[in-house]
Amino acid sequence: MSSTITDADRQQVVTLTINGVTVSVNKGMTLVEAAWHAGISRVTSVGCLEGVCGSCRVMLGRGKEVTVGLACQTFVEAGIEVVFLPAASAPRHHYEIDDFQDGWDIHARFHEIFPEASRCRHCHGCVRSCPKGIAVEDGIALAAAGRYRDAGETFIECVMCELCDVACPELIAPAHVGLFCRRVTAHFHLRPPNLIFRLEAIRQSRMEPDHE
Amino acid sequence: MNKGVPLAEALALYHRAADRAPAPVLADIDTLLNAYHPDHARSSAIKLTVGVNAGDECQRDLADLLQAETFIDEANLAGAPVTDVDVLVVGGGGAGCAAALTASEQGARVLLATKLRLGDSNTVMAEGGIQAAIDPEDSVQCHIQDTLRGGHYGGDPALVAAMAGDGPDVLRWLINLGMQFETTPGGDLQTRRAGGMSVARLVYCRDYTGLEMMRVLREAVIQHRSIEVWEQSPVVELLSNEHGQKCVGAVVTSLIDGQVRIVRTRSVILATGGLGRLHLNGFPTSNHLGATGDGLVLAYRIGAKLRDLDSFQYHPTGLVNTPHLSGKLVTEAVRAAGAVLLNGNARRFIDELQPRDVVCAAIVRECAEGRGVDINGQRVGVWLDTPHLEQSQPGLLEKQFPNLMTRTRVSGIDPRAEPLLVYPTLHYQNGGAVIDANGATTVPGLFAAGELAGGIHGRNRIMGNALLDIISFGRRAGIAATATRDRGPKKVTLEHVNRLRRALTLAGMPMSRRSPQVLPPYAAKGLWNH
Ligand SMILES: Cc1cc2nc3c(=O)[nH]c(=O)nc-3n(C[C@H](O)[C@H](O)[C@H](O)COP(=O)(O)OP(=O)(O)OC[C@H]3O[C@@H](n4cnc5c(N)ncnc54)[C@H](O)[C@@H]3O)c2cc1C
Ligand code: SF4
Ligand code: SF4
Repeated sequence: MSSTITDADRQQVVTLTINGVTVSVNKGMTLVEAAWHAGISRVTSVGCLEGVCGSCRVMLGRGKEVTVGLACQTFVEAGIEVVFLPAASAPRHHYEIDDFQDGWDIHARFHEIFPEASRCRHCHGCVRSCPKGIAVEDGIALAAAGRYRDAGETFIECVMCELCDVACPELIAPAHVGLFCRRVTAHFHLRPPNLIFRLEAIRQSRMEPDHE
Repeated sequence: MNKGVPLAEALALYHRAADRAPAPVLADIDTLLNAYHPDHARSSAIKLTVGVNAGDECQRDLADLLQAETFIDEANLAGAPVTDVDVLVVGGGGAGCAAALTASEQGARVLLATKLRLGDSNTVMAEGGIQAAIDPEDSVQCHIQDTLRGGHYGGDPALVAAMAGDGPDVLRWLINLGMQFETTPGGDLQTRRAGGMSVARLVYCRDYTGLEMMRVLREAVIQHRSIEVWEQSPVVELLSNEHGQKCVGAVVTSLIDGQVRIVRTRSVILATGGLGRLHLNGFPTSNHLGATGDGLVLAYRIGAKLRDLDSFQYHPTGLVNTPHLSGKLVTEAVRAAGAVLLNGNARRFIDELQPRDVVCAAIVRECAEGRGVDINGQRVGVWLDTPHLEQSQPGLLEKQFPNLMTRTRVSGIDPRAEPLLVYPTLHYQNGGAVIDANGATTVPGLFAAGELAGGIHGRNRIMGNALLDIISFGRRAGIAATATRDRGPKKVTLEHVNRLRRALTLAGMPMSRRSPQVLPPYAAKGLWNH
């Protein structure tokens, strides 16, 4: 498809509902643009407009089928029912990375913090809701098995929209599990020689007497 | 502006052009910049009339906001609930989160108020990477030199030295919080070289460096026991002591229910980021929705000195293919990989790897002189020749630029088959609030960090220094803001607002305009009509 066709497309008008309000807008608009265009009030969950901040979470109804997505990455369609979702609630799982003394008990600590992670019932809810196409369910399985590095890698493109958290019937909070895995991997294992060398050189030069 | 070559005709010319002749040699860079860089456009800058920077050059649209009325008066404050904290951090991007984490490490009670969701920011959008002098070939001194040169020697050497010196420790701090970076097989951090660097100094995480940084910082802040976060809570005014001389708090509103709240503090750290969404000089922007320069307005009104308010970075290659992608970035790395720029006549017109301001000015020139590609008389741009790049290096786009490919795919555009239409996009605020090496502004009790602060990047920022700057000065401000252990404010007033109002009246300036802007009009329309 070339940009010419996209431009011509834009002449067509489609009608849909956003937050219960019927709006008619031009084709080719994203749901965010449509909401602005129609003056839908209280749509505050918009951020980067590029699909990386994970804020503009919407529920999409097409007849009986209901899915979720990001409004800045979804184009208007005739008849679709769009509801902007409220921000996710505060996380239920708590830890600070400095709480961990060393990595040897990390497995036990993980299951203390995320006890639900080993109860995945493989319903695929998280996978179906992920706008980034992440294999969330596999990532959770890897995490539960202690494969934190690989689990974290699964979530490399995660934009923290937390739509998978909403979908999960076991309240596993997959998005936060994914981030935990990425964080402990760096925290315990990333020890780059070139960085360590430079830090030590800087420390020593600061200790020299002529350093003010 | 002259009309350009109509799209269909330009496409036909593009497909007929067999060879890619070398770009013409640029005769005189200064003449080009003076004639066509948006900073130099006639009527772009005016002199400020009131406030600490009176007499200084300032971009016109920004000047209107700096010299404007506030939303808040005494009546709004009567009866507003009051919250007391040690440190208030304004803004939930990289600088704000770094400041909040560091202040709480020092034992302070911290409140972080942010306009949108925590992490909605320019930080999360950064792709390229972060600079730090860790390569054996490199040194902090060399990093300082490159930064000063890149900024046309407009930067403050003390600030640049502070930032460059922090580089390695910033990486350690981020890794400790759980941020990942690309490594070599030997376990070293992978470095690469980008525009303006004399050695390889950019460390990165795929083309998701900002996303990786932001989600780690966001999680660390959310999880932190002594940081409270208010989302959807823009700060619309600061509060001063009875002399209007010291910052002692702020006025926070809510995008959800409009409620006004007072926060009383020992120090306020402003970390509100940039101003791309003001669309200066009518330009599109690469910035996130909340980048409306609020911090500059707040700081100026309370009397903090600002600098370089006439200097902005316009990234040469913002997309213009469809309105919803308008201004979205095509990273410089695509040109570095070999993609050339072509005008409506399918001719090259500039060495694509010249500095950003030069390439930007050349594109503006082509379009102004009628050699751009004209889309229905509504938009104009030049070609970024991605198909040719794909032909010469098959598979490269998919492999190295997955982010770009995903974004264009969503819109039904395939950069491998058709060239992208680009035009400069407002990208970065070079100047900002004057700070010292502790992030202190010229007003006691008020700190600034991140894109809002000025003086580091001079009049042109080189790639990767913004992500370093925000963590370096975010942490510095976080420490300094907790060091002032006076006994907190007794009285919070709007004395500074009255002072500016008097100055506006004396100068005969219009009082009709209110600021900060908080959201661009196209988004605010829907937001505020309850
Ligand atoms: C597309 C893109 C790519 C980039 N790539 C790179 C790169 O590769 N390398 C690099 O070094 N730099 C890059 N930059 C620049 C860099 O990302 C930013 O300069 C930097 O992240 C700014 O950080 P910050 O914390 O100062 O501001 P931001 O990250 O923008 O955060 C500011 C925060 O303040 C909030 N805020 C604003 N106003 C108010 C208010 N009134 N009240 C409360 N909160 C408010 C905002 O909502 C936001 O959350 C890029 C920028 C963009 C836009
Ligand atoms: S993994 Fe979860 S939080 Fe991350 S992008 Fe997918 S749905 Fe969103
Ligand atoms: S939604 Fe929860 S229970 Fe279902 S597959 Fe995903 S992680 Fe498992």
